[in-house]
Amino acid sequence: MIAANTPASVDGPTDGPGGKKSKTTFVRALNDALDLGMERFPEMFLIGEDIAEMGGDFSVTKGLWAKYGQERVRDTPLSEAAIVGTCVGSSMVGMRPVAEIMFADFVGECYDQIVNTAAKMHYMFDGQFKAPLVIRTACGGGFGGGPHHSQSVEGWFMNVPGIVIVAPSNPADAKGLLLSSIESDDPVLFLEHKALYRARGEVPGGYHTTPLGRASVARQGTDVTVVATMRMVPMALTAAEEAAKEGVSVEVVDLRTIRPYDAATILESVAKTGRVVVANEAPKTGGLGAELSARIHEECFAELLGPVVRVDGLDTPIPFSVPLEEVVLPDEADISAAIGEAMRNSR
Amino acid sequence: MDLAMMLDLYRDMWLIRAFELGLEREFKQGNVPGMLHTGLGQEATQAALAAHLEASDCFFPDHRCHGINVLAQQRHGGDGERIMAELFGRATGVCSGKGGSLHSADPAVGNFGCNAVEGAYMATVLGVALASKLREEPAVACAIIGDGTCGRGEFHESLNMAAIWDLPVLYACLNNGYAIMTPVGQGHASADIVDLARGYGFPCEQLDGNDIEECYDKIENAVAHIRAGKGPYFLEFKTWRWQAAFAGEFRPESEVKYWKEDHDPILMAGEKLVELGASVEELGVIEKEAREVTEEWISYAKESPMPDLAKATANVYVGWEVAGS
Ligand SMILES: Cc1ncc(C[n+]2csc(CCOP(=O)(O)OP(=O)(O)O)c2C)c(N)n1
Ligand SMILES: [Mg+2]
Repeated sequence: MIAANTPASVDGPTDGPGGKKSKTTFVRALNDALDLGMERFPEMFLIGEDIAEMGGDFSVTKGLWAKYGQERVRDTPLSEAAIVGTCVGSSMVGMRPVAEIMFADFVGECYDQIVNTAAKMHYMFDGQFKAPLVIRTACGGGFGGGPHHSQSVEGWFMNVPGIVIVAPSNPADAKGLLLSSIESDDPVLFLEHKALYRARGEVPGGYHTTPLGRASVARQGTDVTVVATMRMVPMALTAAEEAAKEGVSVEVVDLRTIRPYDAATILESVAKTGRVVVANEAPKTGGLGAELSARIHEECFAELLGPVVRVDGLDTPIPFSVPLEEVVLPDEADISAAIGEAMRNSR
Repeated sequence: MDLAMMLDLYRDMWLIRAFELGLEREFKQGNVPGMLHTGLGQEATQAALAAHLEASDCFFPDHRCHGINVLAQQRHGGDGERIMAELFGRATGVCSGKGGSLHSADPAVGNFGCNAVEGAYMATVLGVALASKLREEPAVACAIIGDGTCGRGEFHESLNMAAIWDLPVLYACLNNGYAIMTPVGQGHASADIVDLARGYGFPCEQLDGNDIEECYDKIENAVAHIRAGKGPYFLEFKTWRWQAAFAGEFRPESEVKYWKEDHDPILMAGEKLVELGASVEELGVIEKEAREVTEEWISYAKESPMPDLAKATANVYVGWEVAGS
């Protein structure tokens, strides 16, 4: 089980233009992205609970209030619907708001604004409005946060046309994807896994974007494809190292954008390996693994050497007590076991 | 109020009434899909609001606001017939038929769209208002809400945030006495919604929503306050809707009689106009013209083509295409 402050084992990709790279944390990379965005887009502002002087619960907005002032870095009361409502309304008239919802578990409080207003805006009024907003939120378990500070909420939004769900796994992508999210004219739910906040990695300097809707191949391999998200990516890379010792070559695909997702990269990898594991921290039923598994079976049945194996959280809320939480959340050992199963259970 | 202005407002009220009556007839004949909520009985409030909102302002219409949507088109260079066509789900509608009655928008005339999740825009309006404030534009952002809708948590989140940030929001609460069949005093701690708003510390007033002069004057005052940068304003319009509930009329006969005969906004305005010197014939012509234009718009809507089927998957995302079947 990885604790919240354990560094991740993955370094950033090398797709950054120009700028010197340096080793930095996920939080710092996010902070840089916000700073660069604020500098570039006068219509951008930040909004959330205690994000101004305090810099947010996880210090992601630290220093930005002092630099950009209270009009552009706005503290709010505990009013999640009003926070997102403010983002939606202002984005309708050309602003580029970035909200922080302190914990992803609280998106229920603003779910309607996201799902029924932001995500449908462009469609129901047939293109007359756009909602170019970003909702950043801290998700995921592994630190004893209990049922209301640990959830993975991507499944709550998987079924929502119009929303973009972004989920970085390393500092370089955190920076590049956040800047792309800010540039995006679609509403973005930007998931920040809390256990990754202190992960370190090489991050390209300067303004650097990573395309939305595109997965990356975090490790090349030929026997099994592991499609993973967020904290499951460094875990998958560790499991891949272990598998290599046994002579199994694992390809790790970091999905990066969960919706709309990059089916082409997944299917290309599956065509090569014929075996697939999908690893995602959220509860299993109706989750990302179910969607990807169905899609892979629909489109790559002939190439498959065996059934898709899913690694997910158990179908329970997240318990507080650490040993119980370890039972519920997936880890490297689960991914290793899944890789073994994919190898065994194949033609 | 002078005769000319009163006549203009009377004309606007009749346009709303004729529009809604024509629409109701078509709905009953099965020509209008979906659900229909009419603004019959609430014409004074709507006409007075429309009279004070510029194209550079914004309003979020409620589910009974076909009338204000039409007046915004008329006042700001749009086409009323495109509102009608939208209600019929046609390609020529303001949202190409994708929105219908409950999701009609046209930003060119300040119409930021109804939202069928009642009152969701109590939160959304904050953002439009904040943008105006940051850009130092003297614009008003108006949220039109029913009494029942004020039961939502967003009501309080919105009023609080508008107050702490001094946002240029006009809250127009149309208290017609009921949420579907639930009486306002049963659904809220006070039957006077203005009581719920007062704690937020900005000006709140209750007025007769069927008295066009009072509506016009009070809105004028509220809008001037907002444009002067003095922050939000809350107006509660006491009114009444003709439309009962799906189950039929549930309100006492005496109440129906009072609002439809003794306190109807158009009848009251007509009496005032005659006092001011208008002729009964002149008023009759206004009614006739409103009915005629409504019939023209209904014909236009019915003759308009259905949307191109490709519209079903258009504009889900700005940055991605969604595959068709
Ligand atoms: C959030 C939400 N809850 C419930 C409904 C269903 N609904 C539609 S209209 C209505 C009553 C609204 O009452 P009020 O705000 O007083 O408006 P009125 O119809 O009286 O004008 C309800 C409950 C809805 N559309 N949205
Ligand atoms: Mg009502």
